Amino acid sequence: MFFDKYNEKKDGVIRGYDMHSTSVRVLAIAIMVICFLIVIACLFPVVWVFLASFKDIKEFNTQVSILPSELDFSKLKKTWDQLKFMKFYRNSLYSVAGSVVAAVIFNGLLAYALAILKPKGYKFVTNLVMWSLLIPATTNIIAVFKNVNSLGMNKTFWPLWLAFGANSFYIVLFKEFFEGLPGELMEAARLDGCGILKVFTKIVLPMSRPIIMVVVIFAVTAAWSDFLLPYLVLNGSGYETVMVKLFAFKDTPTDAVSVLRACLFAIIPPTILFVIFQKQITDGAAAGAVKG
Amino acid sequence: MKTKTKFKKRDLMGWLVMLPTLVLFAFYIWEPFFENIRLSLYTTVRYQTQDFVGLANYARVLKNPDFSAAFKNTFSYTFWSLIIGFLVPIILGILISETVHFKGLFRTGIYFPNIVPSIATIWIWNYFFTPGPTGVLNILLGKIGIEPLQWLNNTHWTIPLIIVTMTWKCAGSTALIYMANISNISPDLYEAATIDGATIWQRIRHITLPSVFGLAKTLLILQVISVFQILQEPMLLKNGGPNNASISLLMLQYRYAFRDFDFAGGAALSVMVALILIVLSGIYMKVTASKED
Repeated sequence: MFFDKYNEKKDGVIRGYDMHSTSVRVLAIAIMVICFLIVIACLFPVVWVFLASFKDIKEFNTQVSILPSELDFSKLKKTWDQLKFMKFYRNSLYSVAGSVVAAVIFNGLLAYALAILKPKGYKFVTNLVMWSLLIPATTNIIAVFKNVNSLGMNKTFWPLWLAFGANSFYIVLFKEFFEGLPGELMEAARLDGCGILKVFTKIVLPMSRPIIMVVVIFAVTAAWSDFLLPYLVLNGSGYETVMVKLFAFKDTPTDAVSVLRACLFAIIPPTILFVIFQKQITDGAAAGAVKG
Repeated sequence: MKTKTKFKKRDLMGWLVMLPTLVLFAFYIWEPFFENIRLSLYTTVRYQTQDFVGLANYARVLKNPDFSAAFKNTFSYTFWSLIIGFLVPIILGILISETVHFKGLFRTGIYFPNIVPSIATIWIWNYFFTPGPTGVLNILLGKIGIEPLQWLNNTHWTIPLIIVTMTWKCAGSTALIYMANISNISPDLYEAATIDGATIWQRIRHITLPSVFGLAKTLLILQVISVFQILQEPMLLKNGGPNNASISLLMLQYRYAFRDFDFAGGAALSVMVALILIVLSGIYMKVTASKED
């Protein structure tokens, strides 16, 4: 029974025809057990945060145990209120929503021009965008922050939103998808008198749901986890996001349990997203969509 | 004549569509790249450039003892990420490819750490590495009778353990790429090898591993590029310590610019790191391009 299923296995090294050998059977079971252990190792730290969040600080600092003495949700509520976490959630929500909109509109528009409109000189722009992948964002940060300051956008969400509008990786995703769309539909719409932007909003975007979905998921996770520019721009502004708060713990002495509960709050939204969209997310990763 | 003017109008519209995004690229990527070079050649008071000093800022940064520590650590980070971070996803990919039961669970399970925000990951591991008897790993070791360890406080362990936390977070997504690659290997190859009497290990050694070699080469360079940009892990876990044992180049850049407000020094360091990264990326593009031929 257990080994019969290997007859359906069409890829990889071990196949159904190997299963007559006892040593291969042992190996197959061993691999499965090892995979279970690996998954436990992947999940354990997050499960532990959940459990440790129910300890109070004395218990956390003195008890040599993984399990908390009681599962009392009012403790989480207390930290939530103490840190005023609702505010950070709301700010993160603003930041993520704007970033996602910018990611889809700006990168989508440029890709639309490069893949479909192809104005004179589009090849040059394509090369510029590709070469931009070479310039590391992390080493640019000093001058970017200078630009943000000189335009007076410091302590607002604008620089964080717009930053998602210039992403070569998203542009490549959009461009490759748009190039596969049937050209006749757009041509017909244009003959019917649709303007360039109308073709984009009425024809291209509705046909591009799958790729928009992928970019939205990437952008949501990236924007939620982003901390460096948000910290520089928003810290002390009253608009701190969840990650800014977590990052700022490095400078503000906070008890371990509060830090852990804040981490738990920060993990919950992406986890929910992952549970709902796990298929799209893992398929996107497997397609070789190397993180930008 | 008429078609020509029409053509021009369409071009103009196309450029208008591109313009907003190109402005953003200029604002976040192109202008800052050149602005960093400019800042690095002047003395600065906050963001105001004062006097042109040529390469003096570079000399100053290179002489900083923290720089030599960070530079040395970069090699250590790279070495350990090759030992741990590079091999683990390959092994994971091969192992999960060979399962038929619970495969979906394994795929989802190993990818899950990837969606945990990096800052949260770091704080969590920080408590795993707590040196006393209440540190999570020490509790687990205690159950099998091992005395509490010092973990990150042991300078020989700091960098390897930081790589372990990064591998925990990233290995799953890389493993999925390997799995996609492995499932594309022609089944005939394995069947032919089996008829020739190849053992399981020989099939992995002579078919699976050579087939993922090209992908591994590509991912290896991407990994070196990302290791060069290590920042938040050493910063939050040990603030570059103990005794500079984990300080990284980007941490130093952050300190120059946003702790000491020495933007010229920070820019000089940025330019040097960016040049290294651009060379590495150039190699990456060359490798991927030759693969497509």
